[in-house]
Amino acid sequence: MRFLRCVHAEFLLVFPRLSRTRLGISLLALGTTLVWLSAHAFDPLTVTLQAGALGAILGAAAIGGDETDRAALTTALTHPTTPLAIATGRWLAIVLPAAALVMVCATAIGWRTDGVVAGVIATAAVGSFALAVVLPLGRGAALALFLFMAVAGTIPPERLVDLARPGIVRLTAASAMELGPALWHYRDIADADRGAILHALAWTGLGILLAAALIGRRHR
Amino acid sequence: MTDYALTLADITSRGLGPASLALLPGEIAGLVGPAGAGKTRLLRVAAGAVRPMTGEVRVWGMRVTDPTARQLIGYAGDSPTFPRALTVQEVLMYYARLHCAAGRERAPRGLVREGLEIAGLAAAADLRLDSLGRADLHRLAFAQAALGGRRVLLLDETLSGLDAFARRDLRGRIARLAAEGVAVLITSRDPAALERLAARVLVLRDGRIVRAGPLATLLGERILEVILDAPPTEPPPGFRITAAGLEAPLTGRTVEAALALCRAHRLPVRASRVRVKSLEEIVLESHDVQ
Repeated sequence: MRFLRCVHAEFLLVFPRLSRTRLGISLLALGTTLVWLSAHAFDPLTVTLQAGALGAILGAAAIGGDETDRAALTTALTHPTTPLAIATGRWLAIVLPAAALVMVCATAIGWRTDGVVAGVIATAAVGSFALAVVLPLGRGAALALFLFMAVAGTIPPERLVDLARPGIVRLTAASAMELGPALWHYRDIADADRGAILHALAWTGLGILLAAALIGRRHR
Repeated sequence: MTDYALTLADITSRGLGPASLALLPGEIAGLVGPAGAGKTRLLRVAAGAVRPMTGEVRVWGMRVTDPTARQLIGYAGDSPTFPRALTVQEVLMYYARLHCAAGRERAPRGLVREGLEIAGLAAAADLRLDSLGRADLHRLAFAQAALGGRRVLLLDETLSGLDAFARRDLRGRIARLAAEGVAVLITSRDPAALERLAARVLVLRDGRIVRAGPLATLLGERILEVILDAPPTEPPPGFRITAAGLEAPLTGRTVEAALALCRAHRLPVRASRVRVKSLEEIVLESHDVQ
């Protein structure tokens, strides 16, 4: 119970951030762009996946990537809370607005439950991964992740690695694409693919644990 | 349980120690020393924010890593940083919720109100952090450290860089908490800031406590300053040469005896005066002696 209350306290910080930082307006701009793209290029499933994943990265940049906020973790940990509660609370603060964006986009372009479920699960996985990446590396890493997820992440690895010559680069790229969270993978969640769901859930848990370890390490 | 509010036993950490100290409830101890002496690290170890390589920290007999101990010990850092985009009240509400997570006996709003009062921040409650001045940021750091009725406060340079009025006000607020039984360990790179606050002073140099004692005892030492017409070639026993002449502590001898010693050495005494040693001098002395 205590853990959940600490998570809740951490999560509640998202509301002032949504209204007083660029996070709110960025999510709005992302949603508008994706809805516009749905009329010209993207299918509904791509829109919900992109809304979730990119929204989560924007959230991670705003909530976990800000240098002041990262420095403030040291003060937070002198209060009765734990790194895991902070990481979980921040993950929720990243994921819930992005999941709301998925639903808003799905409503705007025509609701499809399978697409929304895929979008929300992808949001959870990408949000967790993004949090673990931006905590040590800051907003620059969030930008790189955003570009990767928006472009390369939608392409299956077998198509992408064909572009590289055989060798270590190709192997690394293929492994990263297979193992890391990527939208080409999470499209299958809409078809209830267990492998894709497990992949997303594994990243969700792993990302939160990694973020908690990083927060704890920063404290020490 | 123990009589001590805070104990550090044989602490060593990077660039620190071995250092030991014990703080009684209601006591205000000042930790002074030059920049890089290890004051901040000692405080962070005491706060449980840095794990010591050896030794242990206990808060009311409990290990500092114990969640119950964490509710009793508050830390205000040297450069206060808080979550961005929040108001003073929201920052305190965030920390208050963490304190209230253990039980429902106290409401977060009550803790926030108390924190605002303790630090004198009621008028700034609705201000955003980016509009706060240095003094208010230090007050906020102090408020979050004292939040939830904490019994041990570790204040890192909380009085540094403030104007005389803000410093006096904050000093009064710290003293009021101490009068209620809160133990305070406060650092300052400017010893003068602690002269009217700390009951005990610990001088830190290269990570070690090189001098410690009640402030009254340390400051009680009187110094005889002797102004000479010509600089001496060699000082009499117990004296040291200064820019204007000589000076010597008046421990164990009278002013007359000290001046008689100068005359016996045929020194051209123009004038003399007795003054009380400042904390700054004690710190500098500790630094020079080592």
